[in-house]
Amino acid sequence: MTVNAPAAPLDVTKAWLQTTLKHQRQLYCCAFSPDGHSIVAGAQDGTIVLWSLEETAKPILLEGHPTWVSRLAFTPDGKRLVSGDLHGGLIGWDMTATSPQLAWKSPEAHPSVPGVPGWVRSVTISTDGKTAFSAGSDRVVRLWSTADGKSTGSFEGHPGDIFSVAVHPNGQSLVSGDIFGNVRHWDLSTGKLTRTLDCSVLHTRKENFLADVGGVRSLAFDQEGTRLACGGMTDIKSNAFCPGMPAVLVFEWKTGKQQQLLRASKGKADDGPIQGLRFLEDGTLAGKGERLHATCSLEFWNPEDGKVLKAIELSSGYDLDLHPDGRQLGVPVWVANGRAGNGRHTERDKYLPHFGHVQIYRLDEKPADEKKAS
Amino acid sequence: MSAPLSNVHACQTPEHDVSRRQVLGALAGGATGIGLSRLMDPVVAAEIKRQQKQVLFIWLDGGISQLETWDPKPGTDFGGPFRSIPTALPGVSFGELVPRTAKIADKLTVIRSMSTKDENHSSGVPRVQRGDPKNRGVTYPFLGSAVTKLLGAPSNGLPPYMHIKPGRGGFMWKDAGFLGPKYGALGLGDGKPPIHINRPASLSQQRVARRDALRKKANSRFRQGRLDKFVTAYDYSYEMARQLTRRQDLFDPGTLPAGDSERYGRHPLGRHLLQARRLLEAGVQFVKVTSYHWDTHGDNFNMHREMVPQVDQPFAALINDLETRGMLDHVLVVLMSEFGRTPKINSRCGRDHWPEAWSVMLAGRGIKRGYIAGGTTDNGAWCQETEYDIGHLFHTIFHCLGVDALNTQYVNNGQPLPIAHEEMGVIQEVLA
Repeated sequence: MTVNAPAAPLDVTKAWLQTTLKHQRQLYCCAFSPDGHSIVAGAQDGTIVLWSLEETAKPILLEGHPTWVSRLAFTPDGKRLVSGDLHGGLIGWDMTATSPQLAWKSPEAHPSVPGVPGWVRSVTISTDGKTAFSAGSDRVVRLWSTADGKSTGSFEGHPGDIFSVAVHPNGQSLVSGDIFGNVRHWDLSTGKLTRTLDCSVLHTRKENFLADVGGVRSLAFDQEGTRLACGGMTDIKSNAFCPGMPAVLVFEWKTGKQQQLLRASKGKADDGPIQGLRFLEDGTLAGKGERLHATCSLEFWNPEDGKVLKAIELSSGYDLDLHPDGRQLGVPVWVANGRAGNGRHTERDKYLPHFGHVQIYRLDEKPADEKKAS
Repeated sequence: MSAPLSNVHACQTPEHDVSRRQVLGALAGGATGIGLSRLMDPVVAAEIKRQQKQVLFIWLDGGISQLETWDPKPGTDFGGPFRSIPTALPGVSFGELVPRTAKIADKLTVIRSMSTKDENHSSGVPRVQRGDPKNRGVTYPFLGSAVTKLLGAPSNGLPPYMHIKPGRGGFMWKDAGFLGPKYGALGLGDGKPPIHINRPASLSQQRVARRDALRKKANSRFRQGRLDKFVTAYDYSYEMARQLTRRQDLFDPGTLPAGDSERYGRHPLGRHLLQARRLLEAGVQFVKVTSYHWDTHGDNFNMHREMVPQVDQPFAALINDLETRGMLDHVLVVLMSEFGRTPKINSRCGRDHWPEAWSVMLAGRGIKRGYIAGGTTDNGAWCQETEYDIGHLFHTIFHCLGVDALNTQYVNNGQPLPIAHEEMGVIQEVLA
């Protein structure tokens, strides 16, 4: 079904679509297993879809969330998967068995208050695999034991909803990004706030808006931990269509200085926010965002000079994950089921939800036999 | 000054032949007072009591999602991520974003089976606000203009049709359609009174009167040989603004009861609905409140979780206040958009335009308290029972105001025109 061993050198300019994994409902997140043998994706129907990348068997559905699955993260040993949902719940899954089992469940990890639903928007795991970090609409980063789901702490201080969290490769720091463009740097040994990086350009609230729009939708460290990338959009025109200019701010981690403001290949056109970011082993940054006017692609940048190395046109994407082999990117994308847009345009019994696919792109030259087959 | 209109408009009921000029003549004697005490003013109270017909029309421009509010379908294909919560009506749920409104559901009627024709804003907004009558080659009036024409304006010293909206205000004569500009709305930008409502202290009342006399003289000369309706409309709007200078108290935050601003919220819709209550208390016949930017094609769920509470809080406060003040018996409250939003969730996590099955909220005069009319299929996409069009809604609104829309007509240049779609009728099940 897929190619595991990297046979060719990394070259994003030759990236190609290797695999499409199909689901009947929209998918909003994905994660490769640390052993590289499988990939999971979270769906609108509350299921987590587990595909083997080595067999063509039907995917396994992990059922336990009552609503949309928002983010997924594996422990480094692959034994535990932690998933979050838009009812504020977290689930720890035992991935050691042939068929994954629910290990623990915290339905109100980020609790609701009347009129303000608790949502988990982001989940990540510590480098030692012992702690899961979750964040969302209650403005708190919460810490959980991956073993049993018990609460082990929290970081408070964000003035608005938190959209993204990421752990530094050295395991000593966590960053969390909020709606107003604050990226908070937390010291994991003391639990204290170290500094705040300014991504306020990723937030817009004009006088006639009814809501704050934008936020730091994605965060990623490079593999050496020298750079931090923060994704979202700038210059948002309204709180209705929410169109803005996809953007990534790249910071030098040591100094906290902004090095680049990266744009999508089609420049100033309106589109949605960058929802997924990953650095590759050669320092290239990959990003994927929501697509409004067919301008936001799967983009690859050189963060040194800010230039786009490659842009692959594809549908709206909501997350991004890098395979452990460093040669494959997984993207959960939106796929139309019938006509989209205003009105019905179909018979009642044919009016069905749109689809979600996970597309896996290889980041090296296509083998000759694959070229021939395609 | 009082030359006849170039168009003759009259509905065929004797109650409605009160000319705006006569009304304004009575306005000059309007009483003065401040704040809530206006309710106690015998002149205002007597007039309200006599007529017993006021309307609050809340317009969420762009289309609020029915699935995130009044017709939730959690756990279904199109339900979205929000939960539903119980309401004061046994067995009836609303979306979790409207907990305050859920608590007063026993004072409301929700029509969950609106099914209309237009999926575009540009044509849909005027089409809906005009009641979507058959095309007869004329421009029908918006609801506010129609109501003030059909009921006749109360003699309480206030403009009968006022529109609170974001942005700029001014006289909105286009609302009136073929009725003629004088039936337009006085727009209050951000709920504030027209500019220059405060007479400078250096300007004496006598000097103002002399200036006004000069203005009238100039108008009279200008009017000669010209189409009259625009000059009349100008005169009328000027007179409305002049009358409002005597009612600065209606816009003075210092006269608000303590805690009102917090109860309604300090966001625009909170401030505007609180201002609407003040205008209704003072006796304004038709108050329209518009909120823009509900067209959530992108990021629908993040936007609704931020925006819907801005409706929930002041709407519930307002309904409670109207009831406490005994006004819910004579104020008809309508909360709606031009359509709902698609069950299907698009590529930007948004919802698009959906006229097929959506919800309207009603309360107050003539309306059942605690009722759900119609319903939608399990997935929320289609009307399950009787479908109601906008014509049905207009018939119902007019009925609640004492106007039989099947037996009342406008007459425009001799052309009889139905006041609501003649092939539709009243939604009987929502009537008290």
